[in-house]
Amino acid sequence: MFAYAIRRIIGSVPTLFALTAITFIMMRIAPGGPFSGNRKITKDALANIERAYHLDEPLWLQFARYVWGVLHFDFGPSMTYRDYTVSELIRAGFPTSLEVGMWAMLLATLTGIALGIAGALRRNQPIDYVAGALAMTGLAIPIFVIGPILQLVFGLRLGWLPLADWPGDFAHKIMPVVTLALPNIAYVSRLMRGSMIETVRTNYVRTARAKGIGEWRTIARHAFKGAILPVVAYLGPATAVTITGSIVVEQIFGIPGIGRYFVTGANNRDYPLMLGVTLFYGAIVIFANLLTDIARGLLDPKVSYE
Amino acid sequence: MPFKNWLFAAAVAMLLGGSLAGAISAPARAETVLNRGIGATISTLDPQVNFLATDGFILDDIYEGLIDYDANGQIVPGAAEKWDVSDDGLTYTFHLRDGLKWSSGEPLVAQDFANGIVRTIDPATASDKAYIFTTTVSVTGAADFNGGTNKDPASVGATAPDAKTLVIKLAKPAPYALLLMSSFYAPPLHKPSLDKFGKDFIKPENIVSNGAYKMIENVPQSHVTLVRNPNYWDAASVKIDKVVYRVTEDDNTAVKLWQAGELDLTIDIPSDQIDKLKAEFGDQVHVSSSTESVYESFNLKKPPFDNPKLREALSLAIDRDALINKVLKGGYSVNCSYTIPIPNYDAPKLPDCAMAKADRVAKAKQLYAEAGFGPDKPLSLAIESTNSDSPKKMAETIAVMWKQTLGVDAKVHAQDRDSWLAVFSAGTWDVFNDDLVGDFAGPESYLSYMDPRAEAGYNWPSPEYEATIDKALAVGDQAGRYKLLAETEKILLDSYLTAPVAAGPNRHLVRSSVKGWGDNPPDWHSSRLMSIEAQ
Repeated sequence: MFAYAIRRIIGSVPTLFALTAITFIMMRIAPGGPFSGNRKITKDALANIERAYHLDEPLWLQFARYVWGVLHFDFGPSMTYRDYTVSELIRAGFPTSLEVGMWAMLLATLTGIALGIAGALRRNQPIDYVAGALAMTGLAIPIFVIGPILQLVFGLRLGWLPLADWPGDFAHKIMPVVTLALPNIAYVSRLMRGSMIETVRTNYVRTARAKGIGEWRTIARHAFKGAILPVVAYLGPATAVTITGSIVVEQIFGIPGIGRYFVTGANNRDYPLMLGVTLFYGAIVIFANLLTDIARGLLDPKVSYE
Repeated sequence: MPFKNWLFAAAVAMLLGGSLAGAISAPARAETVLNRGIGATISTLDPQVNFLATDGFILDDIYEGLIDYDANGQIVPGAAEKWDVSDDGLTYTFHLRDGLKWSSGEPLVAQDFANGIVRTIDPATASDKAYIFTTTVSVTGAADFNGGTNKDPASVGATAPDAKTLVIKLAKPAPYALLLMSSFYAPPLHKPSLDKFGKDFIKPENIVSNGAYKMIENVPQSHVTLVRNPNYWDAASVKIDKVVYRVTEDDNTAVKLWQAGELDLTIDIPSDQIDKLKAEFGDQVHVSSSTESVYESFNLKKPPFDNPKLREALSLAIDRDALINKVLKGGYSVNCSYTIPIPNYDAPKLPDCAMAKADRVAKAKQLYAEAGFGPDKPLSLAIESTNSDSPKKMAETIAVMWKQTLGVDAKVHAQDRDSWLAVFSAGTWDVFNDDLVGDFAGPESYLSYMDPRAEAGYNWPSPEYEATIDKALAVGDQAGRYKLLAETEKILLDSYLTAPVAAGPNRHLVRSSVKGWGDNPPDWHSSRLMSIEAQ
């Protein structure tokens, strides 16, 4: 398994290189430039700025310069947040995004699995309908609607929870974590329900029942391991998305994470920032997929690492 | 020490400390904190580089320029207590106050201001606002130094003959130059810290500044904290102890934070909430005119827009009253001049605005026909707009008005700001949903921008305009200058190069306990002018 992980990590290098190249090219195809926002700027002044950021060099040289920097873990200076380098921004923001994301995924996984199992075992009974309705709500209402509604109700009207900001205490984390978790709760519970319904009909579960093991043990010890597989497959990429931050949740709740950089980087043509966060995100997706595959191997005897 | 004794000792220490401090300084009082929403994240706090108005609020608190603005945006002495302007309007001599100090306690001298100007135009600084000194206020030698043709900083006309005197020499008269000597444009430079820390000289642990406040904390995407600077020359009249600027990227969240009492001031109010908030909070909702002029520009290089009759017809076909007061709202106001409303300046106006609707429409149709268009041969065009809420809504409404009144087949291209600007530079556009935010509330800021020699990209050759604005800017006396500037503006309006539409708004929520706030078009609001009244 160790050799498998090493092989996968080495295999990800070309993927990351391709990701860098494609992002670099796509950013340059987009019209405008990072410093075109100030229309009153003179040509000389613009030339000065572009020289300072090496934007006057041929594209291939800029690309080579960038890749060389990345190999030294230097993602270059941000052109929007000019007091910081991209590495500084990621280093400052990622722990926060990671924290919000991990709590949200934990909440989503536990709640989603519980709701899914409950729905599967009590099909077409009230608890199934309630779980289904919750899931549909979570999927149908976008978080940019849920977030402000939660703020309005629990922050402003009831005054139970702080509205926004991120001083690091528990109370400030509740609303953003719940907002970010809701769509995932919905998805996980639907996956779990469907998978569990199928699993309880399989031969090995029927065998377990025939042996006279109690219902609870059958589900917890036998069916669960098989039914969880699709959820595990979903959790890898979903976690990668969630821990790299959500611009909507960050902006609504004033969280200093890195999710906003995907949007502000693209909108402001901040080439190094956009490339930096994309590459970082790519690496996390690759790592999350690796963990998912390892976890599936541990759960499913049919999977082998060879 | 048993707990009780410890507590007693602490209480005694606090009492002693409190009375001691009280004996030395003012009577003990609770720390006053002003919580200001700042909108989107800070771009840079480098005083010579920053160009964003939002970051400018912070810089205005931590740096002081030669002049300051009062709550109404009027010039008052800043680090300079007085100044003289030569008769030809080309030499400005500033006399600094006695005993000025940096926040570190070091003396602040005139050379520090000269260094600030030189660094702003230094090509190595790559500053967005170098244009202020190379073109807006043409300091002698600045353009060459910025362009790299002269590398000697001593060639720049900003010099300090002694520690208290700063002389700024201009290549051509700029009667508004004083307005641009504030902290936002001309902050001093603490060279020792720049030399020592490089671009990190503005990090809280390194910064040395000269304003009413000093920065003690800067958390990216979160907040910036300022405390009083005891070395500020007028520290005694600064009333608020601590100012916290909070990043509030989402305007709706900022409004809720204000309602919950967590913010005292907001940077903006979403247009759709103004009426509701006004009903609930009355005069705590501040909506006033900004220095933003909003207009449609026509591409003179692209037929048929080179036909002035067609441009006039399109301008006439815009029902400005309906557009601004029924559709756009949000604090925008109808504006029929290119410049925004400016005190003492009698701006010429488009005749369109004064006409009765029926006459206006009839004339628009007539000119449209004269330009060779009609129901059989409709004009088709595209309006280039940003995809922000208000500009997009405006472009879409104007497109509908042109369609309904003249039968023009008008499309709107809504795009992000960078693409929108790229279309403008490429020169491929028909109609540009345009705006200009003036550097200061004077007609010079707007009319200089439209000067054909300024290469704004409008492809508008007009020797008459150039001659008139040159004549105007050479006049030192405001009344005489404004009269000539009005003539200049009339040339612009008569050409229908642009169809002015509106003046933009400044929108803020200001808690009633905050005193010393004044609405002013350039939107200057120094924390040192404010106080918080206990309620």
